[in-house]
Amino acid sequence: MSLAVSRIGRRRLLSMTGAAAAAAALGACSGPEREEQPPAEPVGQADIDRALTTPTTITFWTWVPDVQKEVALFKKKYPAITVTVVNAGQGLDAYTKLRTALKAGTGAPDVAQIEFQYIPTFSLTNSLVDLRPYGAEATREKFVDWTWGQVTGPKGEILAYPQDTGPMGMLYRADLFDRHGIEVPATWNDFAAAARKLHAADPGVYLTNIAANEPAAWHGLMWQAGSKAYTVNGTELGLAVDDEAARKVADYWGGLAREKLISTDPDFTDTWYQGLNSGKYATWLTAAWGSVFLTGSAKATAGKWRAAPLPQWDPARPVAGNWGGSTSAVITGTKNPIAAAKFAEFLNTDHEVTKLFTTAQNFFPATKALLADPAFTGAENAFFGGQRVNELFAGISGTVDVGWQWPPFLDQASKDWTETAGKALTGGGDVAAAIGAWQERLTAYAEDQGFTVVE
Amino acid sequence: MRSRRSTTLTIGMLALLVYFLFPLFWLVVASTKSTADLFSTFGLWFAGDFSLIGNIRATFTHNGGEYARWMANTLVYAVISAAGATSLATLAGYGFAHYAFRGRGPLLGLILGTVMVPTTALAIPTYLVFSEAGLVNTPWAVILPSLVSPFGLFLMWIYARDAVPGDLLEAARIDGAGELAIFFRVVLRSLVPGSVTVLLFTLVATWNNYFLPLIMLNDPRYYPITVGLSSWSAQAVGGTGANAELLAAVVTGSLLSIVPLIAAFLLLQRYWQSGLSTGAVKE
Repeated sequence: MSLAVSRIGRRRLLSMTGAAAAAAALGACSGPEREEQPPAEPVGQADIDRALTTPTTITFWTWVPDVQKEVALFKKKYPAITVTVVNAGQGLDAYTKLRTALKAGTGAPDVAQIEFQYIPTFSLTNSLVDLRPYGAEATREKFVDWTWGQVTGPKGEILAYPQDTGPMGMLYRADLFDRHGIEVPATWNDFAAAARKLHAADPGVYLTNIAANEPAAWHGLMWQAGSKAYTVNGTELGLAVDDEAARKVADYWGGLAREKLISTDPDFTDTWYQGLNSGKYATWLTAAWGSVFLTGSAKATAGKWRAAPLPQWDPARPVAGNWGGSTSAVITGTKNPIAAAKFAEFLNTDHEVTKLFTTAQNFFPATKALLADPAFTGAENAFFGGQRVNELFAGISGTVDVGWQWPPFLDQASKDWTETAGKALTGGGDVAAAIGAWQERLTAYAEDQGFTVVE
Repeated sequence: MRSRRSTTLTIGMLALLVYFLFPLFWLVVASTKSTADLFSTFGLWFAGDFSLIGNIRATFTHNGGEYARWMANTLVYAVISAAGATSLATLAGYGFAHYAFRGRGPLLGLILGTVMVPTTALAIPTYLVFSEAGLVNTPWAVILPSLVSPFGLFLMWIYARDAVPGDLLEAARIDGAGELAIFFRVVLRSLVPGSVTVLLFTLVATWNNYFLPLIMLNDPRYYPITVGLSSWSAQAVGGTGANAELLAAVVTGSLLSIVPLIAAFLLLQRYWQSGLSTGAVKE
């Protein structure tokens, strides 16, 4: 992974430093503020119409199972365009392939599935096409605000269309809560007290499991706490994975882990699945998709779960983070950018298609229309005792902090987190000190890659 | 010869045997369980319900039976690669061992040096070359790089040097046999144990190859079983749209994927055993 990141190359970054320096000289301030840059000349409607009626084949890399159903709806509307769906693997596998193909200059797809957190990684290498000339800005109102922030680049470019999301909440075992007289905690203080009470009542049960191998969930918790860990502006990079909010999160979980009031088993492993099924963990702090995932992986516990928002730092101002979800991006080098961009747009904005994603693939939507659609929110989930879980998470989605950004080297950030904070969590070490070490490692890495790091 | 027994060694061997069979045992047990039982029953013993047959059916029918296709792909890749690599290694090893030609020493040194370079490190440069040649995302992208086995050549060189006496070649030449005839009618028979060892090594190497097909192939129709199973596994745990039900198929698929390898080893046992010990005793 680090190999792939380092292939971004120092030279390209250095050549970009010149531009950044010039911008700084003009009085642009550093830090999180974004310098808007006008989009390239918009593509005219006549060109769009021509492109969509000319027989064309585009390739779409995605891991979404049965996505042919949605693609068929596109084909129905635009019969001239043939979309070849290629399942090039999920997550890291897919990105490894994509990078290799981009590096080789051939074999990359026209449109690819990319998770929100990897957009800066691919936009740094100019691998994503700015969608503004193809009318992306007109769709802005369709998407939940925070998802639009996630696909917007530092210069105001639109790098992808949001497809599905993972606003975070708390899934909990109502039966265990009842048995031990635990109230659903509204604040993190309540949560810590509940953890103590529950573990004292039954030493075999932990209020939750913070997986020491899961930087994605940790980032979600930092996100909720209001951390501004990464701010990208050209080659200038704000890096503060140990800022005040992040430190608050680290102190909190480090304390609970040291007292052994929570467990730190790695997730998506045998032990962890067993823990979910046996009632070792009384909650799972997870994303909206977690509720779907549980129905398959913890069948034995059907009906015992309920969902609630994450406990809050400030109950007067509820905030959530996000974990997971993905987008459709158009890949640089495509010979049919108009068809590719319009396909990505259709796939994520057409009401029928986006709705199908929520039923056929159980996606948690990114569009305002679906999150307000009674057919979606009104569904009663038997696994959760008939609770309207979608409705709950739709509400949570509206509270996700809009300011969070991802670093252009997420692989490195994840790896370093696991080796510092993850280790401290399992070893009962000082997690706040560990995220200090995380910050140091990342700073050294970023400078090595040619970034100018500002705190 | 008096047979000697050592209790310590026997216990040591048994411990190792348990150590090596342990994961396999887990795999066998796990593949008899449904996804629900997989995570709610003790991992190292069978659950009440025996779901192996159902799991096998699920493995072979999921997503239009792509598992069977991946198995067939792996079989084709592994057999062609192993047969090709073995022929090349046998020919070259014999050549290096019994013909004197200019540059033999340095050339041999160069080839042996490449044993040190892991194929994973070469995967990306290979991709760039293949992409120039337009071979990316075709079965050739997996087969061609697997046709060369420097380690196999090394093994065959040693084997040919020791197992084929120079006098034998002299005798054949005096009898008027051509070089090709000597190779195919005289030498080849004595090289078989060595070749089978190389065959098994390269068979296992291609069967287990992951990174090369991962980056070379984008189309699931060409996937070998390693990449295919990994994509299922990612699909089973990968967050949004994850299909945890698939986990039982991943486990069962893993078990089924090693059955052909075990069969190959058992069938070719008598050859490779003698191949492994060749050269251990100097005449």
